[in-house]
Amino acid sequence: MSDIQGPLDRFGHDLLVSALVACAREEFSGELRVSGMPGGTFHLRGGLVVAVESPGAPGPEALLLRSGRVSGEEWAGLVREAGGARWPAAGLITRGYAGAAQLRVVCAMALHDAVFAIVAGRVDGCERGLAAEPFTQVAVGEPPIRLLHDAARKLLAITSLPHPVRPDRERPRPVPDLAAPLTALQRELHAQADGRSTCRDLAFRSGRGVYTVTVEIARMLGEGFLVCEGPPPIPVRAIPEGQGVHHRKPPAYPPPQPPPVPAALPRRRPGGFFRLRNGTRNEESDMSKPT
Amino acid sequence: MDHKALALEMRGLREQVTGITDTAVAAADGLLIAADTADSIDPEGLAALAAAGLGLARRTADATSRGILRRTVTYGSHGCAAFYSVGDTALVVVLGDEGLDVDRLHMATQPALDRIGAILTDKATEGV
Repeated sequence: MSDIQGPLDRFGHDLLVSALVACAREEFSGELRVSGMPGGTFHLRGGLVVAVESPGAPGPEALLLRSGRVSGEEWAGLVREAGGARWPAAGLITRGYAGAAQLRVVCAMALHDAVFAIVAGRVDGCERGLAAEPFTQVAVGEPPIRLLHDAARKLLAITSLPHPVRPDRERPRPVPDLAAPLTALQRELHAQADGRSTCRDLAFRSGRGVYTVTVEIARMLGEGFLVCEGPPPIPVRAIPEGQGVHHRKPPAYPPPQPPPVPAALPRRRPGGFFRLRNGTRNEESDMSKPT
Repeated sequence: MDHKALALEMRGLREQVTGITDTAVAAADGLLIAADTADSIDPEGLAALAAAGLGLARRTADATSRGILRRTVTYGSHGCAAFYSVGDTALVVVLGDEGLDVDRLHMATQPALDRIGAILTDKATEGV
């Protein structure tokens, strides 16, 4: 089962706290890059956190796309309409995919979830960077220490469960032929758990917050709906004799011929473009004749 | 070839970089050697696609004088597929979800590719 020894990576957590306290005190605007597993980036404005991104938690885009609220094609269309903006908020609202309030909630949830993922993982160091505009941000920034307290409280809540799990550690497998009644979320997680995916992976796949999924997986392990048995072995094939790994033969393509050099630049013939667009002059003059 | 060492390298890469969902190793001609992939993915087909994709990319790099091919990355709305050449003998496939930091992946992959290349060409531990 889980090897959670304590609720927090104490050394890393202290590093993160001191870096964020300094950012708040100095009313820092810019980004604070957190190295570690999964690590992430805090975006601050005037000492307040306006966005957090982490590989450990789905961002707003992944939450919308994976939950099926917007399809990949629709998203690509919205991004094109928005001139390539990564977060086409106006298009999402005007096309009716989500309301303005819903988008604000999604962004705020993603921010809190990313902080939870960073705090639940390993923090190796913190480094300030120049102000880079995050592609989504909340309208009103949050004090960084309040965010950290919230994340630490969530982690403690998971640790206090009978079968605690880390978001990026255990890879649960479903118990086959389960007859117990499951909630909709439990059914989804039971179907997607494959013994290879962590809670974090399942959160991305299902388009839900990593904290929500981690808590539910811990509960399902406690109820006996899932088990953790270690990862399945990776099958490695013996390479047949004569077909082994050998050096790739360079393809027998003919060497590319240099393009022919024209003796002179092509000259435009008068009326050429007109003919291309509208046909020949004769046709045009015939058409203009009164009938 | 040391089968256990190859499996450890593949698993190690997944543990090292958050967001990697699947990995596979194949010979340069697309013959699958090892796959740590979800049931929904056909590893034989994936290995063949990777060989073809790298071949096309290598030809493109040649034709446009871009130097030695390093990798190809295909981005989709649900993640990306990266194909790496292991010297001129084999290839490695890494699939990741939207959370994968591709720059971090490239940094972590380089030393792993060297080790995988050494494992694949090692005759001393054939069939271990």
